[in-house]
Amino acid sequence: MRVQLALLALLGAVLAAGAGAWQLSRIGIHQGYSPAQPIAFPHKVHAGDNQIPCLYCHFAARTSRHAGIPPASVCMNCHNVLEKQTVEIEKLKEAVDLAQPIRWVKVHNLPDFVYFNHSQHVQSGVACQSCHGAVEKMDRVEQVSPLTMGWCLRCHREHAKVPVNDFERAALSLKQKQKPTAGLDCASCHY
Amino acid sequence: MSDSDSHGHYASCKSAKERLVQIQPQEAPAYWKSVAELQNGPRSSGEFPGGLPAAGQSGTTRRDFLALMGFTLAAAGLSGCRAPVQNAIPLLVGSDQFVPGVANWYATTCRGCAASCSLLAKQRDGRPIKIEGNAESSLFGGGTCATGQAMVLSLYDDERLRGPLWQGQPAGWEELDRRVAESVATAKAGSGSIVLLSGTINSPSTRAIISEWRASHPNFLHVEYDATSLSAMRAANQESFGLAVVPHYALDRARVIVGLDADFLGTWLSPVEFTRQYANGRKPEDAPSLHIQFESGMSVTGSNADLRIAVAQSDLGPVAAALLARIARRGGHAGIGPIEDPIDSRKLDAVAEQLWKHRGESLVISGCNDVTVQIVVNTLNVMLGNIGKIIDLTRPSLQRNGDDQAMSDLVEKMNRGEVHTLFMLGVNPAYDYHDPARFLSGLEKVPLSVSFSDRRDETSSHVHAVCPDHHFLEAWGDAEPVATHFSLAQPLIAPLFGTRSAQESLLKWLGHEPADYYTYLRDYWQKNIFRRQRGVPDFQSFWDRSLQEGLVVLPLLHPATEPRIQGNWRAAVHSIREDQAKHRQAGSADRYELDLYESVALRDGRHANNPWLQELPDPISKVTWGNCAAIAPATAAKLKLTDGDVVRLRTVTQQIEVPIFIQPGQHAQTISVALGHGRNKVGRAGQNVGVNAYPLLRVKDGYRLLSAREVTLEKTGRSEKLATTQTHFSMEGRPIVLETSLEELHQSSEVGIEPALPTLWAARPEGEHAWGMAIDMNACTGCSACVVACQAENNVPVVGKDQIERIRIMHWIRLDRYYSGPEEDPVAVHQPMMCQHCQNAPCETVCPVLATTTSSEGLNQQVYNRCIGTRYCANNCPYKVRRFNWYNYTDNPQFDFNMESPLGRMVLNPDVAVRSRGVMEKCSMCVQRIQLAKNVALQGRRELADGDIQTACQQACPTQAIVFGDLKEPNSRVAQLQHSQRRYQVLDELGTRPNVSYLKKVRNPVRTT
Repeated sequence: MRVQLALLALLGAVLAAGAGAWQLSRIGIHQGYSPAQPIAFPHKVHAGDNQIPCLYCHFAARTSRHAGIPPASVCMNCHNVLEKQTVEIEKLKEAVDLAQPIRWVKVHNLPDFVYFNHSQHVQSGVACQSCHGAVEKMDRVEQVSPLTMGWCLRCHREHAKVPVNDFERAALSLKQKQKPTAGLDCASCHY
Repeated sequence: MSDSDSHGHYASCKSAKERLVQIQPQEAPAYWKSVAELQNGPRSSGEFPGGLPAAGQSGTTRRDFLALMGFTLAAAGLSGCRAPVQNAIPLLVGSDQFVPGVANWYATTCRGCAASCSLLAKQRDGRPIKIEGNAESSLFGGGTCATGQAMVLSLYDDERLRGPLWQGQPAGWEELDRRVAESVATAKAGSGSIVLLSGTINSPSTRAIISEWRASHPNFLHVEYDATSLSAMRAANQESFGLAVVPHYALDRARVIVGLDADFLGTWLSPVEFTRQYANGRKPEDAPSLHIQFESGMSVTGSNADLRIAVAQSDLGPVAAALLARIARRGGHAGIGPIEDPIDSRKLDAVAEQLWKHRGESLVISGCNDVTVQIVVNTLNVMLGNIGKIIDLTRPSLQRNGDDQAMSDLVEKMNRGEVHTLFMLGVNPAYDYHDPARFLSGLEKVPLSVSFSDRRDETSSHVHAVCPDHHFLEAWGDAEPVATHFSLAQPLIAPLFGTRSAQESLLKWLGHEPADYYTYLRDYWQKNIFRRQRGVPDFQSFWDRSLQEGLVVLPLLHPATEPRIQGNWRAAVHSIREDQAKHRQAGSADRYELDLYESVALRDGRHANNPWLQELPDPISKVTWGNCAAIAPATAAKLKLTDGDVVRLRTVTQQIEVPIFIQPGQHAQTISVALGHGRNKVGRAGQNVGVNAYPLLRVKDGYRLLSAREVTLEKTGRSEKLATTQTHFSMEGRPIVLETSLEELHQSSEVGIEPALPTLWAARPEGEHAWGMAIDMNACTGCSACVVACQAENNVPVVGKDQIERIRIMHWIRLDRYYSGPEEDPVAVHQPMMCQHCQNAPCETVCPVLATTTSSEGLNQQVYNRCIGTRYCANNCPYKVRRFNWYNYTDNPQFDFNMESPLGRMVLNPDVAVRSRGVMEKCSMCVQRIQLAKNVALQGRRELADGDIQTACQQACPTQAIVFGDLKEPNSRVAQLQHSQRRYQVLDELGTRPNVSYLKKVRNPVRTT
């Protein structure tokens, strides 16, 4: 009985320590983060039901490191002519009328010591969903990926082809024009 | 391993060892960085070069420390659990011109000094964050100077006024406009005059506004005043050629350049342009020009000369006269009596010989603000046939228009109460006028004084109204630095504060409708510039193109006839001779002469509140944060003075107390003091840093000479620490700088690349590129533009005087200046030194956490988030290029510089991480630029081309001494330079295999015996 109790206590301690360690290792990872936004913008309606391409609104992702939240004027491109009115659309129109910029809450945050460039990935043919998940099915955007370095590297390792001899280099230079390789150097992202 | 293998290995090791021994050439000049190093050998920095805090000073016990650490850990853990909410606030109305995260570049014109270099300024997310030269400019190329690079920080200066002031109190523009209009109306009716006192104005549209004032107000007067003026040169040219202008020079065409105290590579007139021309004319592989410099103190220009002759300030005139006597004799001009040679006649003979040999392709250039000297120099150039070939008087420079005599007349006028309304634009006479008390007493008698200064400075704190002007990055403008070369300036950001452009104020007070300066500027260009060009038929296209390119070069309005020499140069020689005799009589051994020079970073003092410039080591003395009195080693030994001893320099009427600095190459009887320091009302960074030496300057015949005579030197017994970087990071006497002679270079044909030393390391996986750099030490003049460019690009913090004394400067690139030869007459060499990006890097092997590694593209990468701050890497780096963050320099009141305030932080480059305390950092070869260029190439679906990537230091360099590129691309410039005969690598024998190569300095000595 005593031994059993001791073993149980030990098991409990080990489990608690394990859970604690796991929790500690998750510090700074905000997978599942889904904050409320000032305007409850449904991606499901726009990107899902109406099939608006991601890059129509997030046009900066093509050329910039930031995908960018579209200016309210982009919203108004359509909402000027659409007749449907909801409370949320009213909020948008009010912001435009009052010339009051909208304070969206950023969902995907990277630490300051890492440099991430959207355009590099978009131009290389990485789909938005590979990192952001099925946004077209979300009413409120949620962080799907852990956005940890290990998670980045999993994909980078798959797509990094470092040529080691002349033959490979020649072979790669034929292909490379179509598809660039992902960097594995620290300085690809950290500077 | 077979026998033969091991034998072969042995042989190669042996030959490598022989090479290793040979690396030190047999007659290598002994290099030294300071006088102490020359006498005592290189300083061994020991384990703690910055010193340790004295034991027992700290009140923190071990127990406290542990308790605090425990708390910190707990707090850090807890705070890490919450996700901080970050907002993203997009624009309300988007623009296709403006994509967040993508930089836009705009052509504009620098207003850091009147040289008015053409710029391209980088705007990122609405903020100007970096300044670069406009490579399209035929005058300046893509280079800039250190001051120009730092101008972007001045925009975010916390000391700038938020709006206009009336009697020192914030006021509205309407109120000021009303008061000024009333005053102008009264002045127009009365007898007092309306005066605009300004620095050099080379903006054609602003000059047009001034002309309108002159036309509508008969009692209007415009006085141009420069703290360091070329007023005497203009007067001399009026006498010699009938043209009161400052000529435009073509140093690249001159085969022989003789400088008489003109620091044209550092500060004089248009240093970026001259530096570029100078380097172009001195490529050792072609026939380089010969440069002889006569000067008192060591200047940037003198440190680059083939022959530098230290002369007293009072001997500059006699040297010019002695050269003229020799040239006149050869040219068959009679009438110059015997002139006593002020220095060794053989040297003068040699210089005259060279000048005569290169008639028509030589240049004598003098910075003396003394009409007689300038007339003699003019005559020399005429007799040598240089006018029209090297010296262009038909398209003169408009970069220095100040008139000393008009200024002193104005001060007298003000004192007599004859000035009713005074506008001051870009001047600060209460600081830099030689008699500030007289100026201020005059200012008190002016019924309405208005300053356009951007801050409460020495002058503007004494005026009735301050109407702050925009920073040039917020303003429209134009410039004509050299006749017919026009450039435009455009705003990159809406005015940060309630400032208004000075031109708009002047238009408003003139009653011009509309008073908007942009409209005026556009109209002016339409009526004047557009009409004179032929290329573009309609104005809108012309305007758009000019704005985009920033530059317009027009044909000459009137094809001018070649000026002929006139005036009595014999009288000038006579006057110099008399002056010399008078000075000889008065002179005694304990009377010194003073040589005042413009500081390379702060210039005439207007940039004193710029912490980047305060922290920039002087190219020669390497002193930061303040100025000092440079004295010759022999003089210091005689007076038993050492570096930092404070002395009192006394002229007849004035005195200053300043620490001394022992300067090799300094003339024994002359003391040199930098101007531009010692501002007492400028802002937090520059307040009372250094000593103001302007009051000491001597006025001769109404011209402000940047020198003084009969100066006595007294010891005060005090001593100050000089924050000098010159002996930081000692190279422990190893051969770092190599040089060759022109003869050797043209004779030998051996090619630079030696087989690499054998290595124990396995080959690394190679990537697509191999980034490398080549630095031409023969082209580098030491101007230090690269240092500030790197600081701006890479968010390098300012650490302040105290930290620099502890060897904690953060600059990623430093300019090492080495001397060789005797201390009274050394030759100098400048070497930019940054991370050498070794393939076998000693820093990597000692890092316990792999925070520094070599990338597949050959970059030595530093990962800040991995670094735990052991500093092993810095200790193991043979090049001493790693910098440790001893503190958080951001948002830390202890370091009250630009990164302390939210406004100052606006200059930070968002593409580069701001490092925090406890991590190591160093040159990354601008990896953010490499990555960006790759991305741009990817977007354009093309390969990277040579030249797509320019590092910040390379871009800023006016002489293109730094070349960056892909060593794997055989046709890239950097790969080509690897085959140069002059190529070597620093400390190659350590087997570090740096990716940075240097090209040896080439000496071309002038025989004087």
